[in-house]
Amino acid sequence: MSDAFQVPDLPEDVRAALRRHILALADTKRLLGLRYSDWLLGAPSIETGIAASSMSQDEWGHARLLYAMLKDLGEDPSPVEHDRPAAEYANAPSLDEPFSDWAGFVAAMVVVDGALTLALEGFSQGRFDPARSRVPKMLAEEEFHRDMGLAWLRRLGQGSDEARARLQQAVRAAVPSSLAWLAPRDRAFGLLVAAGLTAPAETLLDGFREAYGEVLRSVGAEALEPDFEGWDEIRGRGPGQPAEELVERARGDRNRALLLD
Amino acid sequence: MKEAVFDVFARKDRGDPLVHIGYVDAMDAELARVYAWKTYDEQNWFEMCVVPRTAIIPVNRTDGPFAANALGRKEGEG
Repeated sequence: MSDAFQVPDLPEDVRAALRRHILALADTKRLLGLRYSDWLLGAPSIETGIAASSMSQDEWGHARLLYAMLKDLGEDPSPVEHDRPAAEYANAPSLDEPFSDWAGFVAAMVVVDGALTLALEGFSQGRFDPARSRVPKMLAEEEFHRDMGLAWLRRLGQGSDEARARLQQAVRAAVPSSLAWLAPRDRAFGLLVAAGLTAPAETLLDGFREAYGEVLRSVGAEALEPDFEGWDEIRGRGPGQPAEELVERARGDRNRALLLD
Repeated sequence: MKEAVFDVFARKDRGDPLVHIGYVDAMDAELARVYAWKTYDEQNWFEMCVVPRTAIIPVNRTDGPFAANALGRKEGEG
């Protein structure tokens, strides 16, 4: 893609689309980190719990870097991080509720984290300088998330009938809304693509199918299609919103009085 | 699911000796890689490797963590 641009030169609608994109990525990172953290003590082994802890911290750190990109748009990220209501969160919808079991965790590692990685790759190849400079390190750290997700997916896929059934259910539940989140077909995303700020939706979908299609089909998730039912163009995601309790943790409500600059 | 022991070796800088830094339990080599990297992440390692403990052959000791693989050792020997 062509060279970086100056943010002040952006038309207002493209600027709004870029803000939405940054929030979609940052919110998903932050909430995925929290969902991972729910399993630090409930994972199948100590090593798996340690890995979940490390991944949780990776996601949290990446979220902070992504929210900080709002400064490049002239916006203070602090109110966005600490004051927004749940209804404004732009996360991948399958993070709205807790993972029902370990299969849900594994499905999120592959489907949600996988979609997030594809989205970040597209963003890092675009014309937005902060993404080009800050995202590659995130992608390097994500390689271990992908490896852990795929290894666990294969393991559960070779497990008992019940393990396979739960995994299939979790993956099938996560795919449609995650792919819609990854590759929106709305005007705002089209503006981003036309401005060279991220990769086209079809490229992102093809990338996801190439990276994960075979392994997901092997566990019974044949249809890797996005579901745009109830699409919310303001947030760039499907219907619903994250659980209030999760957003309270994301915002740090209980620590509000202790916040340091 | 049965887990195996994988020993973890790492070096901080190119040219440093590869040293044993610990071990992880994992169901396979793929997970052992991830667990090792995520567990022993206190350093910015230049290189890290995992080795299934069953692949380590002791040379001069018949006791310690690798004793089970000592050549010439008889099944069930202390």
